[in-house]
Amino acid sequence: MRAILNHRFSSALIVLVIAIAIAPIVMNSPLLLDNAIIIAIFSLLALSAGMSYGQAGILSMAPAAFGAIGAFSTSIVTIRYGLSPLVGLVLALVLPMMLAYPMARVISRLSPMPLSIATLLLSMLLELAIREGGKFTGGYNGLSGVPPLAFAPGAEGMYVLAWGLVVVVVLIYANVTDSAIGRAVKTARHDPLRATADGVNVPALLASYFAMSASVAGLAGWLYAHYMSYIGPDSLTLHVSVNVVLMAVIGGAGTLLGPILGAAFLASITQFLPARGTQGMFFGAALILVLLIAPNGALGTDWRKLFSKSRIGPRPPVPVTKVAKVEKQGGRA
Amino acid sequence: MSELAEFLIRGALLGVMYGLLAFPVSLLFVTTSSVDVALGAYAILAAAVMYTTGGTLGVIYAIGAAVLASAIVGLISMRLNRPGAVDHVIAVLGTFGLSTFLESFVLTLFGTSPMVRHPFDTFWDLNGIRISPQMGINVTVSVAILATLFMVLQRTPFGRAMRASAANPVGATLNGIPVRAIWFSTYLLGGLLAGITGVLILYTTGTDYSAAFTLTIWGFGSAIMFGLGSPLRGFAGGLVIGMVQALSAGYLPGALSTAMPLFFIFVVLSLGRMNRISATGGRV
Repeated sequence: MRAILNHRFSSALIVLVIAIAIAPIVMNSPLLLDNAIIIAIFSLLALSAGMSYGQAGILSMAPAAFGAIGAFSTSIVTIRYGLSPLVGLVLALVLPMMLAYPMARVISRLSPMPLSIATLLLSMLLELAIREGGKFTGGYNGLSGVPPLAFAPGAEGMYVLAWGLVVVVVLIYANVTDSAIGRAVKTARHDPLRATADGVNVPALLASYFAMSASVAGLAGWLYAHYMSYIGPDSLTLHVSVNVVLMAVIGGAGTLLGPILGAAFLASITQFLPARGTQGMFFGAALILVLLIAPNGALGTDWRKLFSKSRIGPRPPVPVTKVAKVEKQGGRA
Repeated sequence: MSELAEFLIRGALLGVMYGLLAFPVSLLFVTTSSVDVALGAYAILAAAVMYTTGGTLGVIYAIGAAVLASAIVGLISMRLNRPGAVDHVIAVLGTFGLSTFLESFVLTLFGTSPMVRHPFDTFWDLNGIRISPQMGINVTVSVAILATLFMVLQRTPFGRAMRASAANPVGATLNGIPVRAIWFSTYLLGGLLAGITGVLILYTTGTDYSAAFTLTIWGFGSAIMFGLGSPLRGFAGGLVIGMVQALSAGYLPGALSTAMPLFFIFVVLSLGRMNRISATGGRV
């Protein structure tokens, strides 16, 4: 099953088929349509977290921060300078990458622990910069009136665009994962010395992969800004990053479709949770529970093995004296 | 006294509390090669409990709550890093989860209002600098705790067992040292120190529910300042972070004063020795 899900083209195909299959249902309900678009945006963010954590082993606490860079860059160029959202798209893809790559090169140098702390610092600094950005970022009020996308009119158009982008990202992600680069990343994650001995420039490789994941987050931010038509300092915060990592972990950060499943699950049940402040308790507890029960997530866990192990358990070793006794009795225990 | 000296003294007095938070960061990293991101959340929890209950019993409840929370993290980390399946990044992710839980818990139970207590009306005059007697309490408590911990680490069988577990877990296990119990006690020690820090912060600068990650960053920044390997150096790092904060607040405008200490930690992080640790996949 997992082999099918992780196949280079099948993952993207599954997302495409599901998106097309549910389209007639969601298009008839504004609420469902809105949820489906939000899920697509969070799927992109969760895929970004899955790339950095699930593949490269870099625990990034900044997917939402990179998303905010994408969202603010497109909002600023479209609102302040009247430029096309496509210019915003280029900036949303490039700026997070330009920030993530040197950061990873400077900080990581093979160690994922300081990089995760650095991403936490980045999130805090970025939130501060947005709040204190004055007219440029809209300060505490944020930026409203981000223009909708002309080539994706209405919520229906946005649904097609958002899920189309998810399919494209999954396709690229699957190809990269299944390529020599993807295999080198996996080796570098588990054994950097071995990867170096194999001729891999590990810091550059991991930094590039991290930059790619940041770019996907920037794409999510671009979509977010144009769909919501507003971006503010409280839109894509550190807490959103924690939730996004949780989405990836719940679904299976190391799999291609896991982050999308996690995003769909969490974004759906969030509506049934109490006030926003209390949601942290749910998300925090859920993250811990998932890590304890199935750290590889829903799609990364071999459930049959997990349950058979817990129910039946390994047969205890027979004491040597008992074996000798049984043999003496001619095999009659 | 010059303005610069005043900022430095105020910063150092503030940094004493960060030094207390840095101690468990270093100790935990040395012992388990992991980081407890929830340290700041323990401090916030202790501050909130102390703010609500007050009095001597309040101190016990506050520190008890922090230790209880750290015990939960310790158990989770033990479970996540069971023999044959050690993944420190997963353990860090687990502490992120508990930190988020505790922050939300404090928000739900104690609200969004800032929590602060000012027990003293009179101030000491130190060459023209007004200093609250609370600062004196902070320094006394911190130095006493760190001196005690230093003695425990250096002179007692428990300390030797802890150092042995940090230096060579396999060798320590073969010598009959309960390494996993030592790991767990390191988490508890972290909760204890973070709880004390939370109570001191409540009576010094005050805090609110959202400061958990920020406090963790100050503690982590202090710990890495002079190398994560030594818990006592973390205390000195705390003083430096406090001074950087005070100087930034004194000489830099608005948001830059808040951002500068974070930038400073970022630079230290990028230059620090922590980066080289896993460069060989843990072989050297």
